[in-house]
Amino acid sequence: MTEAAVSVERLEKTLGKKKVLRGISFQAQPGEIFGLLGPNGAGKTTTLRLIATLLVPDAGKVEVHGFDTRTAPEEVRRRVGVVTADIGIYPRLTARENIAYFAELSGLGGRLLKQRVETVIERLDIDSFASQRAESLSSGQKQKLAIARAIVHDPPLLMFDEPTSNLDVLASREVRELMVESKAGGKCVIFSTHVLHDAERLCDRITILHEGQVVASGPTAQVRGDRAELEDAFLSLVGAE
Amino acid sequence: MRATWIVYRKEVIEILRDRRTLLAIGLAALATPIVLGVISQVATRTATQAYTVGYSGDIPAGLGELLTATNLRLVPAADPATAAKQQVDLGVAFKSGEIDEYYDPSRQSAQIADVRLQTVLGEYNAAKAAAALQSKGVDPGILTPVRLVGHPLSSPVRAASNAFLSFFLPYILITMILTGGFSAALDSTAGERERRTLESLLLTPAPRSRILLGKIAAVTTISLIAAVAAIVSMFVALSRISLPGPSEASHISLNPIAIPLMVWVALLIALSFSSVTLALGTLAKTFRQGQAYVTPLYFITIFPASIVLFIPDFNPGLAYYLIPILNAVLVLRDAIVHDAVAWPALAVTSLSLLATGGLAWFAALRLFTREALLTRT
Repeated sequence: MTEAAVSVERLEKTLGKKKVLRGISFQAQPGEIFGLLGPNGAGKTTTLRLIATLLVPDAGKVEVHGFDTRTAPEEVRRRVGVVTADIGIYPRLTARENIAYFAELSGLGGRLLKQRVETVIERLDIDSFASQRAESLSSGQKQKLAIARAIVHDPPLLMFDEPTSNLDVLASREVRELMVESKAGGKCVIFSTHVLHDAERLCDRITILHEGQVVASGPTAQVRGDRAELEDAFLSLVGAE
Repeated sequence: MRATWIVYRKEVIEILRDRRTLLAIGLAALATPIVLGVISQVATRTATQAYTVGYSGDIPAGLGELLTATNLRLVPAADPATAAKQQVDLGVAFKSGEIDEYYDPSRQSAQIADVRLQTVLGEYNAAKAAAALQSKGVDPGILTPVRLVGHPLSSPVRAASNAFLSFFLPYILITMILTGGFSAALDSTAGERERRTLESLLLTPAPRSRILLGKIAAVTTISLIAAVAAIVSMFVALSRISLPGPSEASHISLNPIAIPLMVWVALLIALSFSSVTLALGTLAKTFRQGQAYVTPLYFITIFPASIVLFIPDFNPGLAYYLIPILNAVLVLRDAIVHDAVAWPALAVTSLSLLATGGLAWFAALRLFTREALLTRT
């Protein structure tokens, strides 16, 4: 059996006075799209932040490609790329400078740095505005830049946190295509969303969170069961039916 | 340290492309010459301005010429006491063997005219007395049985300019270091949060301590650039502007000892301020909130400079040099006024400022690595 890309065991986390995660567990494998579903406040973003080492677990354990998030956070971050709905880019740097900055901080240098930056620019069609300052870009171009920044170091684990929530139809399709392409390239893709239609179409396996707990987990078809759509199963599981 | 260099380079590029910071540095460079120019104009005008003396009676022979030569313009007045209230700066009634003087001490022009009148009268009386004695064959020297011969140990002009510099230079240095780094520090902390780039930055493998170090180095660099711009422009202005001194109008120059000392102290202050402003910026959620946190620093730093202004001869013990900012002001003042470095005071000052910078760095690091940095909205 291959090593799991992400292994989450009995994870607990309290933020402020709210217990956000109550002992969740799951595993995501290389070469699959793993859906992390749940209503707002279920704990999806907190889970992703714990995997990405931005937060530290209160209890439980997270491993990324065998590296513990507590003991080897830098090794974990080297292997993770995160795309969120927030387009956080540096307005006074050009698109190329933005990408190169994150590539360098991820440890790339010399010829490999240049090569990776140009590969990503080409892959995401950024060439035409690569030399423009980010402050002058359209929101669609900025979103591309945010994706480029997340994948420039070619991480084996990609996490998408509600990536299409601010995007138009065309841009959403590009993000979905990137997820499928990454999966085909052997990467593990974790897709956190409340757009169940997208999840049903893309995810090989899903885990549904509700109030900080796993209420269902397994292959998408299995979780859907005999319902016509995943949405029906989801509503039933979170008690909204 | 590669990550520190990468962050430093990016921060400096971003700062130099930021209009707010460039404007702050530009204003820092322009403000000093403008202020000095205004001071020079006002001082020169006051020194050369003519004042009006309303008089009654007969002016003693020769005195009128002396008064006119010192820019005291004599105009006849029926009632000098009444005239001195509004129409003229000074009222004088010449009587036989006596002069009644009327002036309003609340008016600056009256005070200056009074001093000029006293000086001229002193000289006039001495000359008259000497002439009278000489005509009777008596040596006028008997009027001054003990003569005072002054031997100033430094040039009075230089002393006056040093006194001016000892207040003005530390004040400019400290406020410009703070002004130059203010915007940059907030932009690289609260600005990162506001733009939502902070999370992406912290997702890179670069250790947070290295990221913070890069930011501190960048803000320190910009602070020093602002301070150097302000100081250079100040000296350029001083070399062209004449300030009225005890003798001839004088130009101000800095003694060579003070220059390396100023660079060293500026570096220490910039390091401390960078850490403090970054720590405060890390606490803020937005740039605007960060401004509210950092602005009180201006008031805190103005007080020590004011001590030197209001108590020029303030000579405290070594313990006072432990107080940050005050110690920098005192060390610079000592070097400027006495042309010498007090090494024990400099050592204590350096340790104090390094410790302040270290503590602020530690606080900034604690704030920069806490989870609330990302979870607090």
